[in-house]
Amino acid sequence: VRWCLVALVLVGLTGCVGPAPTVGQYEGKAAHTAQDALSQLETARLAVENATRMPAAYLETVLVDAEQSFGSVQATFDSIQPPDEPAADALKAALDPLLSDGSDGIVQLRILARRGNRAGMAKVSHDLAATADRLDRFGTEHAG
Amino acid sequence: VKRLFAVALGILTAIGGFVDIGDLVANALVGARFGLTLAWATILGVIGICVFAEMSGRVAAVSGRATFDLVRERLGPRMGLANLSASVLVTLLTFCAEIGGVALALELATSVNYLLWVPMVGLAVWLMIWRVRFSILENTFGLLGLALVVFGVALWKLNPDWSDLVHEAVVPRNPQGEGLPTYFYYAIALFGAAMTPYEVFFFSSGGVEERWTRQDVVTSRMNVFIGFPLGGALSLAIAACAALVLLPRGISVDTLGQVGLPVAVAVGKLGLAVAILGFVAATFGAALETGLSCGYSVAQYFGWQWGKYVRPRDAARFHLVVLVCLIVAIGTVLTTVDPITVTEYSLVFSAVALPLTYLPILVIANDPDYMGARVNRRTANVLGTAFLVVIVIASVAAIPLMLATRAGQ
Repeated sequence: VRWCLVALVLVGLTGCVGPAPTVGQYEGKAAHTAQDALSQLETARLAVENATRMPAAYLETVLVDAEQSFGSVQATFDSIQPPDEPAADALKAALDPLLSDGSDGIVQLRILARRGNRAGMAKVSHDLAATADRLDRFGTEHAG
Repeated sequence: VKRLFAVALGILTAIGGFVDIGDLVANALVGARFGLTLAWATILGVIGICVFAEMSGRVAAVSGRATFDLVRERLGPRMGLANLSASVLVTLLTFCAEIGGVALALELATSVNYLLWVPMVGLAVWLMIWRVRFSILENTFGLLGLALVVFGVALWKLNPDWSDLVHEAVVPRNPQGEGLPTYFYYAIALFGAAMTPYEVFFFSSGGVEERWTRQDVVTSRMNVFIGFPLGGALSLAIAACAALVLLPRGISVDTLGQVGLPVAVAVGKLGLAVAILGFVAATFGAALETGLSCGYSVAQYFGWQWGKYVRPRDAARFHLVVLVCLIVAIGTVLTTVDPITVTEYSLVFSAVALPLTYLPILVIANDPDYMGARVNRRTANVLGTAFLVVIVIASVAAIPLMLATRAGQ
């Protein structure tokens, strides 16, 4: 029983995110955040690009999931206390606008999908390509 | 002709019933992240499940008793209890994942939040286990699960460079940017997905439900040696589709909706509708199997009357165990814990529990008191022992790798 409890506590701890004590670690978390955000943004864009090839209910569910997951990624990054270093502030300043743009874009896609506005979805998805590129570059440049 | 039909039906249901929420998620997740470089882990797992399912099917056909009915008698109550505890906990976790999987699949079809579907799915599972005949359950969902063949169609329509795909699958390598611990963590998850313990509980208890005799050993072997590998091929098709569509765009899989996106891209609306049908059938069928397996394990250990071949009132304690497990599973999913996360953890914990599940099968299949002339031959023993070594390594490495990689992050 004791070992089971220890195992459960250890498993629980694997899901915890602590504060980043060094710039290097903060950079790693920022890169990871960018990759996770890119994954959700690209999921939404891929779904929208193929909107005519899937039922409306499926499209809506994929977009709602992407929106929630993107929000969770953003909230987790916001909850990390950056180290008191200019480099950490610069990282945050570079990533925050990308996260905001991505989040706003997915919300817009979900609204337009519910309204059945395919032209609007295509335009927003096209505009989001630049944000996706920047997230990709950020993730690649700052990954360990 | 009737026998041929029975064999064909068995093979088809084995193919359709092979894939469950664990296979769907693990293969798509790994395909989107590692391409086909981890195909060897799925292939290894499929060979492993074939080796042990053949043994447990043979035990059921020869002795007329399910393998785990014999564990306590052959290995004693302590070993039996260790086996029971590990297998029921892991199967219950898998049961939660399957119930959540059905609800997620229904959400994709309706856009109604999956939490609203969970109680209805639970009720449907209970009613079916209580009222519907075993053969109807097995055949209906096994055959409907064949809808997942649409992933094979999608792969073909994506028109990949087949030589590149095969090369990636047969020459294992760790993709750039991924650490070796992460690579092996996901290898264990895939191995665990293919060798999930409930599959052998269900296969061997199902043999008893269907009243297999020595003459059915051939049928059992054909189900295993043809049906399971083809089911494994479906798993590889899911991984390949994810590798072709999701990986180039940096999409990592954490929802069931992402698993189906390659089918929408390649085949369109009709294909996606078929894929959703396959998701529902595969997860619902697996929910029935895991629910029944919980009841089988507990009832067989305590020597209670079990099974659907007797009336529910004659196997009341068996049905009570199934009902309690179902309530626990529904309650767990309703806590809003992410079913996909539960699935990922269930795969790793399956890997941890594998030796406790598979060692007794090897021991009993070697016991002439139960098996007579149908005792394991040298090939089965060599393969069984070799796989036990792999299983023990996977079991020991699973938790340290989970901690080291923060569950594969």
